[in-house]
Amino acid sequence: MDVFYFVVQQTMFFAIPLLLVAIGGMYAERSGVINIALEGIMVMGAFTGILFISEMGDSMSGQGLLILAILIAGITGMVFSLLHAFASINMKADQTISGTALNLFAPAFVIFAARMLNGVQQIPFEDTFRIPSVPVLGDIPVIGDMFFKNTYLTTYVGILLYVIAAFVIAKTRFGLRLRACGEHPGAADSVGVKVGRIRYAGVIISGFLGGVGGLVFVVPTSTNFNATVAGYGFLALAVMIFGQWRSGKILGAAFFFGVMKTMASAYTSVPFLKGLGLPNDVYKMIPYIATLIVLIFTSKSSQAPKAEGIPYDKGAR
Amino acid sequence: MKKKLLTMLLATTMVFGLVACGGNKANDDKNSGKSGKSDKYELALVTDMGSIDDKSFNQGAWEGVVQYAEENDIAHQYYKPVEQSDEAYKDAIALAVKGGAKTVVCPGYLFEVPVFEMQTQYPDVKFIIIDGAPHEDKEGAQPDIKENTLSIFYAEQQAGYLAGYAAVKDGYKNLGFMGGVAVPAVKRYGYGFVKGAEDAANELGLKDGEVTVRYTYVNGFAATPEINTQASSWYKDGAELIFAAAGGAGNSVMKAAETAKAQVIGVDVDQAAESKTVISSAMKNLKKSVYDALGTIYDNKFEGGQSITLDASKEGVELPMASSKWSNFKQADYDAIYAKLAANEIEIPTDATTDDATGLTKACKLTKVKLTVE
Repeated sequence: MDVFYFVVQQTMFFAIPLLLVAIGGMYAERSGVINIALEGIMVMGAFTGILFISEMGDSMSGQGLLILAILIAGITGMVFSLLHAFASINMKADQTISGTALNLFAPAFVIFAARMLNGVQQIPFEDTFRIPSVPVLGDIPVIGDMFFKNTYLTTYVGILLYVIAAFVIAKTRFGLRLRACGEHPGAADSVGVKVGRIRYAGVIISGFLGGVGGLVFVVPTSTNFNATVAGYGFLALAVMIFGQWRSGKILGAAFFFGVMKTMASAYTSVPFLKGLGLPNDVYKMIPYIATLIVLIFTSKSSQAPKAEGIPYDKGAR
Repeated sequence: MKKKLLTMLLATTMVFGLVACGGNKANDDKNSGKSGKSDKYELALVTDMGSIDDKSFNQGAWEGVVQYAEENDIAHQYYKPVEQSDEAYKDAIALAVKGGAKTVVCPGYLFEVPVFEMQTQYPDVKFIIIDGAPHEDKEGAQPDIKENTLSIFYAEQQAGYLAGYAAVKDGYKNLGFMGGVAVPAVKRYGYGFVKGAEDAANELGLKDGEVTVRYTYVNGFAATPEINTQASSWYKDGAELIFAAAGGAGNSVMKAAETAKAQVIGVDVDQAAESKTVISSAMKNLKKSVYDALGTIYDNKFEGGQSITLDASKEGVELPMASSKWSNFKQADYDAIYAKLAANEIEIPTDATTDDATGLTKACKLTKVKLTVE
């Protein structure tokens, strides 16, 4: 049972950032803008968030500091994603290229800025955020051990943001318009929806979630930030596609990846996996092999937004 | 109107860009230290991949250059290759020579081929290459070190040995080793660690198999949740201390240790400042060795044309006892074992002994230590 709790707790560290960033990607793409800049946005968000924690660590600590850092990371992501929105909506640039440009720019900028500010590129931070056990909730049998022990506030913030995001896109007027702009912007325009504005909103929301995702990725897994999120932005894109651009399925996909990744890294603690006695490398392949198998069965019915990646041209109806 | 605005914006950006470039240049001059005599930089360092402040190779070597240069008022400068390729490394070396370099320090084994070619092209320039020996660019080529080149290796196995020995002497029995990638230097750290643990266990008279060592390579040098989870699972299974010889990936191990309230041994440089969980670090003394090598050049005692291995007898490796947090392993114990290493009384397997860590059980005749390679 102990092992089970451990796996669930560790899964959160993989799944929550993937979930947030994938949902962010979903917002951009359902509005009609491909956003492969998520990796770069994560890096920027993690950078300002961690920098804030590092600078303010002397005068503040605990969950208040973390919440402020989350906000700062999110805002940074929003501002950074504006570049992508401007290029792909106003300038009608190729969205893949614009996204790639941001991905290349972010780590370089972060290294430069960190060295200007601190002299070194790594930004260390003191972790005062880990919650050994949530009061009251941590004492609930089974569920307390699974979800409310050895955790970070970021897990709950992530789930909350997910719930809000899933609700907004499915149940609100704004959500409907956003989806319309991704499927058939001409039709949306004809009934008076401002396609450009909606798409801006989509990209900015993805920037916010991407930035938060970057911070959420770094805080539980390292003691400093070294200008990288190890390709998790791209993995989040895979999660989004795996989840068919639908929030419910993305939730499933993020946790599927999370569990698989945890199993692959912690197989020595899981008796039945250890019992297989396979070489180390085989365990590390598990997440990817499992993904391939699932994709074989599901990829036939791809539900990508129809108008994604195509700049909206009022004249071309 | 819109177009005009854009043009204006573009023009302003360009002006600022130019100013920024000018500013940078002035900055560079300042960075390179006081020269006084001329605008030539006599001492140069070409960085390997990673920056001058990587808390490892580049930084350690550069600190040695700076220290020597400042003490002797010599102009110095570092150059960064534009990319990771032999051509780019050669270009950077050529640029350094053009900039007046009489000595070029090249940290890292990736310089083996570039230095091989440049040592012939610039016979009047002296090269110091760290962790590598120049050789031709083909499979299985033998090292070819010219008179103007000194190649420096470290006895990482001794640093690892000190770490393993100290850990067991201090009372730890469940140990782990996480190497970055199975390259020679990392292997030597790991092998030494296992051997050190075995010897300490023998001295303490522990029972057979009482000390366990889990051994793996994490296949990367960057901090990721995967490595964090792997280290967490080791700690959960009972590991008390993990020796993380994996660069930045070590930070993920430290994070796991913080959660598990366990210990980490750092690598290459003193990593005590990285996390409270770092109990000690298996160091190689990069700064001192570069400093010393530069000294021999200026005293006309340069020992070029050979490859030297810096070990305990030359103070090439150490544990930083001042910042270590051992409770039972005292300075006197350290001095005693260090003296033995320095006198070469202890034989430690290296990557030449066995290619695979599973061979250690036989090579070290392990009895007290139960080694699990994963």
